[in-house]
Amino acid sequence: MLLSYRMPREPSTPRITVWRKLKRLGVAQLGDGLVALPADARTREHLDWIADEILAAGGTAGVWLAQPTSLAQERRLAQTMAAARAAEYRAVLTEAEQARSLGEAERRRALRTLRAELRRIHRRDYFPPPERDTAQAAVDALHPDHHTEETA
Amino acid sequence: MKWATREHIHIDRAACAWLIRRCIDPDAAFVFVTDPADVPPDATPFDMRGVDLGHHGDDCSFETILRRHDLTDPVLWRIAEIIHEADLDDERYDAPEAPGLDAILRGLSMIGDDQHTLTITKPIFDGLYEYYHRAQMLGREPA
Repeated sequence: MLLSYRMPREPSTPRITVWRKLKRLGVAQLGDGLVALPADARTREHLDWIADEILAAGGTAGVWLAQPTSLAQERRLAQTMAAARAAEYRAVLTEAEQARSLGEAERRRALRTLRAELRRIHRRDYFPPPERDTAQAAVDALHPDHHTEETA
Repeated sequence: MKWATREHIHIDRAACAWLIRRCIDPDAAFVFVTDPADVPPDATPFDMRGVDLGHHGDDCSFETILRRHDLTDPVLWRIAEIIHEADLDDERYDAPEAPGLDAILRGLSMIGDDQHTLTITKPIFDGLYEYYHRAQMLGREPA
């Protein structure tokens, strides 16, 4: 599914708001004012509302159901999206590893923060990379139940 | 009165339908359409693109209906926070109930049609209302 859009350069606030929402959804940027997401009920609904928001801000927008003409093109797009998520999971993994040596209270705090971050990434993870499980395991290991087992 | 919304309802539309029946129009009849052009002329559309009772700014449709109908009941606004997070997930509110409710609604849409979802969600929302109503009177979570 594609969202094509144009927004006035000024004021910049609505443009930034829209861009933040698109990033949060994990869109692949195909070009200037053209982003893609795999089509499902949830992504479609989100893109529809964002299109409305762009129109309300004086821009133009269209939501399209599109098909790539080659399988290779589709794969490249999926790989790009998976690679973007993999980088996010690696950042979580690094933080989880750094938190392992902290005291229990701080480790618990890190566990809560990183679990919330993982949930946010999961919502925009359409083609789960192997890093997903690695990051999840590293975060779960911060829980005292796992921690004691591993350090014993 | 007749009300129309998009078919395959999810959290925001299910909650709006409950709110409409509870606070605005007890005899509301709901029509579910595929295309905005199919909304019957005598129906009030909600949670659809380009209609008044839809998303506005950062509000979801449930919040828009509360504002348009001057519904100021704080219990409804507490529920609105949950609906907002389950629908938009933008962390504007702290609503830990949202992901659970989102999963329940997604699951319901897999096992029945929209009327079925409305039938099942009515007592769910009634229960939520009662829970937060008591929470408000107690000033803490009820047991």
